[in-house]
Amino acid sequence: MANSIMASSKPLISLSSSTQPTRVNLPKSIKLPQIPKPISSSSSSSSLSSKALSFSSATVKSLALIAALAPPSMAEAMEKAQLFDFNLTLPIIVVEFLFLMFALDKVYYSPLGNFMDKRDGEIKEKLASVKDTSTEVKALDEQAAAVMRAARAEIAAALNKMKKETEVEVEQQLAVGRKKVEAELQEALASLEKQKEETIKALDSQIAALSEDIVKKVLPS
Amino acid sequence: MNVLSCSINTLIKEGLYEISGVEVGQHFYWQIGGFQVHAQVLITSWVVIAILLGSAALAVRNPQTIPTGGQNFFEFVLEFIRDVSQTQIGEEYGPWVPFIGTLFLFIFVSNWSGALLPWKIIQLPQGELAAPTNDINTTVALALLTSVAYFYAGLSKKGLGYFSKYIQPTPILLPINILEDFTKPLSLSFRLFGNILADELVVVVLVSLVPLVVPIPVMFLGLFTSGIQALIFATLAAAYIGESMEGHH
Repeated sequence: MANSIMASSKPLISLSSSTQPTRVNLPKSIKLPQIPKPISSSSSSSSLSSKALSFSSATVKSLALIAALAPPSMAEAMEKAQLFDFNLTLPIIVVEFLFLMFALDKVYYSPLGNFMDKRDGEIKEKLASVKDTSTEVKALDEQAAAVMRAARAEIAAALNKMKKETEVEVEQQLAVGRKKVEAELQEALASLEKQKEETIKALDSQIAALSEDIVKKVLPS
Repeated sequence: MNVLSCSINTLIKEGLYEISGVEVGQHFYWQIGGFQVHAQVLITSWVVIAILLGSAALAVRNPQTIPTGGQNFFEFVLEFIRDVSQTQIGEEYGPWVPFIGTLFLFIFVSNWSGALLPWKIIQLPQGELAAPTNDINTTVALALLTSVAYFYAGLSKKGLGYFSKYIQPTPILLPINILEDFTKPLSLSFRLFGNILADELVVVVLVSLVPLVVPIPVMFLGLFTSGIQALIFATLAAAYIGESMEGHH
């Protein structure tokens, strides 16, 4: 009995919390050499050494034993290959995973997800409103341009008007000046004519005297 | 004589075996009712759950419009998970984000906690603490949950018409389609289990043989592949769900 227990590769199982006294611990089919514990070394070292040497034969023996012992005894814990040891751990992990999923959903996915979606929605709204403001800005721009154009046209019209008025004035003054000049010209001409006539008259008398002189000088008498 | 040979054998064995103290298949057993559980898996899974819930609760406490630090990181993770779900499932991906996200986060944090956290500080009476995903129970549990999830997705969307997919595209493929329902969870679980357990074994063996510099690249490789495995598991789960929900071709 002690030998069979100690012949297992998990010698501390018999000292652990497991409560099955008649456990048949069979040699494992997949394992590396185990460190034999000092407690078990007394009676098991020989069996362990032989076991370490006869690995494959132990595997065959274990499989045969499993096949033979599996049906009758369910109270004995059968550990075949510990690597593929399915037990209550599996459903417990399922429950733990489902708990984790719902807890994470409540703590992380839903709050943060909703927050991110809301933020995305706000950003989209702002973007859309910014697009509308840009058309408003364009309309305002056009208004400003129209106002500028109107102002310029006004100024041009006022300028033209002023130009015309001053032109008329200028023309008027020019006409007045011309008239004056003409009048003076006429005066001057008239005075010149008068002087011409006077000089001609004066010359006339002198011409008569001169011609008499000339006749006297020319004709020998 | 017997005592002498026993002690000599013990000395030889312990001397030899001290060099390579690898324990595969050693579990720390608890008894619950009439059943056994692998306590080391439960303990490490509780730690993983605590890490996930604690850090998520801390980071999402006061959401700012312009995120910084922890909130930024968790928003990045959530967007990544949503992107994976949306790519694989399509437009109705919303309800599945918690499932896919929890799959990804649980497996990722489990794998990295197994590689990064100093579990060896805590000595168990038997076995050792490591990533919870190095146990076949965990990976098969996740794979079975995925199977149930994609069945539920297909049945809730199409009702009993879901079973018509077994004879698409031709009824000759019926046995293969049925076989697929077994191979999908099998491959999911064994892929994850094999990757994580093998990486741990390689690292432990290398550390026990050449503890100085040589294990470090293998540890980095382990971090990388374990992260990839989490992503692969989540993506495949989403792909199966999407495949069973998709409409007629």
